Amino acid sequence: MEPILNRNEYTYYLVGNVDDFTERLGRVVRLGKEEIAVFKTTDGQIYALENKSPGPRGGTIAEGMISGEVLFDPICDWKISLTDGQVLDPDKGQVRTYPVQVLGNEVRIGLLTNGGGLFHE
Amino acid sequence: MVEAQERRHLVLIGNGMAGINTVEQILKLAPGIYRITVFGSEPYPNYNRIQLSYVLEKSKAVEDIILNDRDWYLENGIELYTATTVTHIDTEQKTVKADNGMEVPYDTLIIATGSNPFILPVPGADKEGIVGFRDIADCENMLHAADQYKKAAVIGGGLLGLEAAKGLLKLGMDVTVVHLFEEIMERQLDHTASLMLQAELESQGLKFATGKHTEEFLGDKRVSGIRFSDGTTLDAEFVVMAVGIRPNIALAKESGIAVNKGILVNDYMRTSVPDVYAVGECNEHRGITYGLVAPLFEQGAVLAKHLCGVDTKPYEGSVVSTQLKISGVDVFSAGEFMDAEGLSIVRMHDDWRRIYKKVLLRGGRIVGGVLIGDGKESSRLQQWIRTGTIMTEAIHDAIVGLASVETGNTAAELADEEIVCGCNGVTKKHIMDAINEKGLTTVEEIKVATSASRSCGGCRPVVEQILQYVLGDKYDSAAAKQEAICSCTTLSRDEVVTAIKEKGLITSKEVRYALEWDNPEGCSKCRPALNYYLGMIWPAEHVDEKDSRFVNERMHANIQKDGTFGVVPRMYGGVTTPEDLRLIADIAVKYNVKLVKVTGGQRLDLLGVKKEDLPKIWKDLGMPSGYAYAKALRTVKTCVGSQFCRFGTKDSMGMGIKLEKKFERLDMPAKFKLAVNGCPRNCAESSTKDIGIVGNEGAWEIYVGGNGGIKARLAELLCKVRTDEELLEIVSAFMQYYRETGKYLERTSDWIERMGLESVTEAVVSDLDNRRALAERMEVALAQVKEPWSEILNNSNLRERMFDEISVSTKPN
Repeated sequence: MEPILNRNEYTYYLVGNVDDFTERLGRVVRLGKEEIAVFKTTDGQIYALENKSPGPRGGTIAEGMISGEVLFDPICDWKISLTDGQVLDPDKGQVRTYPVQVLGNEVRIGLLTNGGGLFHE
Repeated sequence: MVEAQERRHLVLIGNGMAGINTVEQILKLAPGIYRITVFGSEPYPNYNRIQLSYVLEKSKAVEDIILNDRDWYLENGIELYTATTVTHIDTEQKTVKADNGMEVPYDTLIIATGSNPFILPVPGADKEGIVGFRDIADCENMLHAADQYKKAAVIGGGLLGLEAAKGLLKLGMDVTVVHLFEEIMERQLDHTASLMLQAELESQGLKFATGKHTEEFLGDKRVSGIRFSDGTTLDAEFVVMAVGIRPNIALAKESGIAVNKGILVNDYMRTSVPDVYAVGECNEHRGITYGLVAPLFEQGAVLAKHLCGVDTKPYEGSVVSTQLKISGVDVFSAGEFMDAEGLSIVRMHDDWRRIYKKVLLRGGRIVGGVLIGDGKESSRLQQWIRTGTIMTEAIHDAIVGLASVETGNTAAELADEEIVCGCNGVTKKHIMDAINEKGLTTVEEIKVATSASRSCGGCRPVVEQILQYVLGDKYDSAAAKQEAICSCTTLSRDEVVTAIKEKGLITSKEVRYALEWDNPEGCSKCRPALNYYLGMIWPAEHVDEKDSRFVNERMHANIQKDGTFGVVPRMYGGVTTPEDLRLIADIAVKYNVKLVKVTGGQRLDLLGVKKEDLPKIWKDLGMPSGYAYAKALRTVKTCVGSQFCRFGTKDSMGMGIKLEKKFERLDMPAKFKLAVNGCPRNCAESSTKDIGIVGNEGAWEIYVGGNGGIKARLAELLCKVRTDEELLEIVSAFMQYYRETGKYLERTSDWIERMGLESVTEAVVSDLDNRRALAERMEVALAQVKEPWSEILNNSNLRERMFDEISVSTKPN
């Protein structure tokens, strides 16, 4: 018997238009039970991360500063990669990310179809 | 490499810290010699049980305390069965059976089943609402209870009980710690230390019922209270049992392995049965069972070496030390801690500073110690106890010696493991290694590489000393002074400011491009700095870059750790009216504000405001922003002065209000505080302000460069003036001179030391032409400022994007 792995099947929800988001300024999207911080980079790419600081003091990340594809955590000033949620050196950690689809002007965010969560036994 | 089937099969029962730590060490010593299977009862991969108290107080999430995630098991080829409990070991056939029916053969077996919370065997202990504090499920239980119930009791005033109690208190419960003995933590602390700790925790809001023997739990189905042997009772809707732990030996015992209190092991962690080992809290070694983390790592190291055929010394027991993980309370204890015959004791007890230090010696050697209120020396003390170091003058001084004024470089004397940066847990060795390995030459580089001095900055001088110590002659103090403004560039503040003026750069994007920044969009350090310098140099032309402002300055409110905000309206000179007070009170009620705080700067802070409510509160208040969040003038603190006070010689309130109205909202390099006093009694505390003004009969004294914060500094006298006009002009010139020459985030206390008081006095007092020119430039800058709250209220598009959330349902239509 092999350890069980997550199956990544997502359902995408329409959360707004590309213009609802300002470059380099985060905005909070509540999608069902999830609180998501959505960011638009200077290049116009849109990223969605769980609105929760990975740092020891907790807090939210939507208010952070955006530089390229890096977010500076507003509470602990850790650097977080927008693309995969990884905390960059010298700190360690990870922020959960959500897949984003942009079709025309419409922005959609995906949630795990099976309800999410990290582990399933 | 050996084929998987041919490799010896190692089975680990227990997916906790002791077992997985042993596996990690085996993988390091001899990767590939074992095929490994792990069983764990809990539905999680290996997590840091010690940090459960952080999960309870919500400063960490469950995911944050995971030590080895699922990928780690996959990458190392480990078969992991979570939520699966092993029910039987057949030591003859060498197989284990699990509750899901599977049976797995082993060559080598490690039992690491840990321990269970001890539940007092008294009537009613099986009622609903009584839990232990041992795993994530218990933690979730407690978080759930805190939402529903108010009154909690924690039975057990030991380490675990106090951490649980503090966690529940933080979640808003009314918590009483019940303890069998008169003194809490009696197994780690002596009488004095225990009383000090209790007093400290009481001041934080915990209640104590000590010397209480629990006899029965009251209530029907669910617990409603506790009855003690002295006949008294305590109401409790929720009870946490933290009286101790018992090694989890059921499986071993049932399988015929020798047990006493724990599973009996020898110095190599072997049990009574061949090829079966036990490690961590479940075992008993030389009559001792451990419940702390250090011994299990030490046991794991010996066991891993033994199983990999690497030579190892036998495990001979551990010196245990205790450190309480409660914020704001330093408690350390190790080795022997009680006065006893044959021991000499070095003791320092300071009730005023609430510090207690005690070192116990036997035959001159250090055998134990207790530290309360000041844990700085705990790692060194533990090392001295472990190695039985002989007491010396130097050690004595380090622990209980009077704090001497630090001159010279003391970096050499710091132990390698000493934590230099308390905010980020960075040791001296960590800093030295970074300097040596990465060739660092400035504190700024050390900050980026190690995080040392990144948070409060209080340890910066020590970090600088370590740098000096490591580099020796190569240390360049000039380079340190002309440090680059951040790691995106090699240019210093002065070079950047000169280039902005000479090349006529207007936007920060232009600056980064023209001055060849490494990082085209900058970082959290240079972005706000450039935005400030550009606004200071080009007050009329530069457009403020909101995306380069720290969150507080962008939202015009102070963000709190729970994501809510604090709102501070202006209250000029700390003077208000009954009507304004009533309005503030009504609004606090209307928006269900969590707390109203009188701030240090003489005004009111409404705390716990939701982001989306901010614009509404501003509108209802109709008052200007108090800028309590900004690198700008915060408040002008005033005393009552000549309007009412019988000692007052000057109208300090009137002058304070005038100054606050004139200089509010203007960006400064750092926050800026003023005070105006009506007489030399100095009730508004001028000596710790950036500018402190003291009224005398017929004159004003102007003090500058004071600071009451991280690095305290008394303000120095700049000059005395006769008229109000002169006072206003000199204050204006001083502030503008600081704006033009200060580094971003540099307070006037550091700026004055860098510039020298004499040169500042020359520029803003003696040189009259320069003084007038500075004051004129100040007027140009002041003409640009706008009230931010009304600006946001009048721009619906801006308001919506900044403050409104987007809400989307996931329910199918």
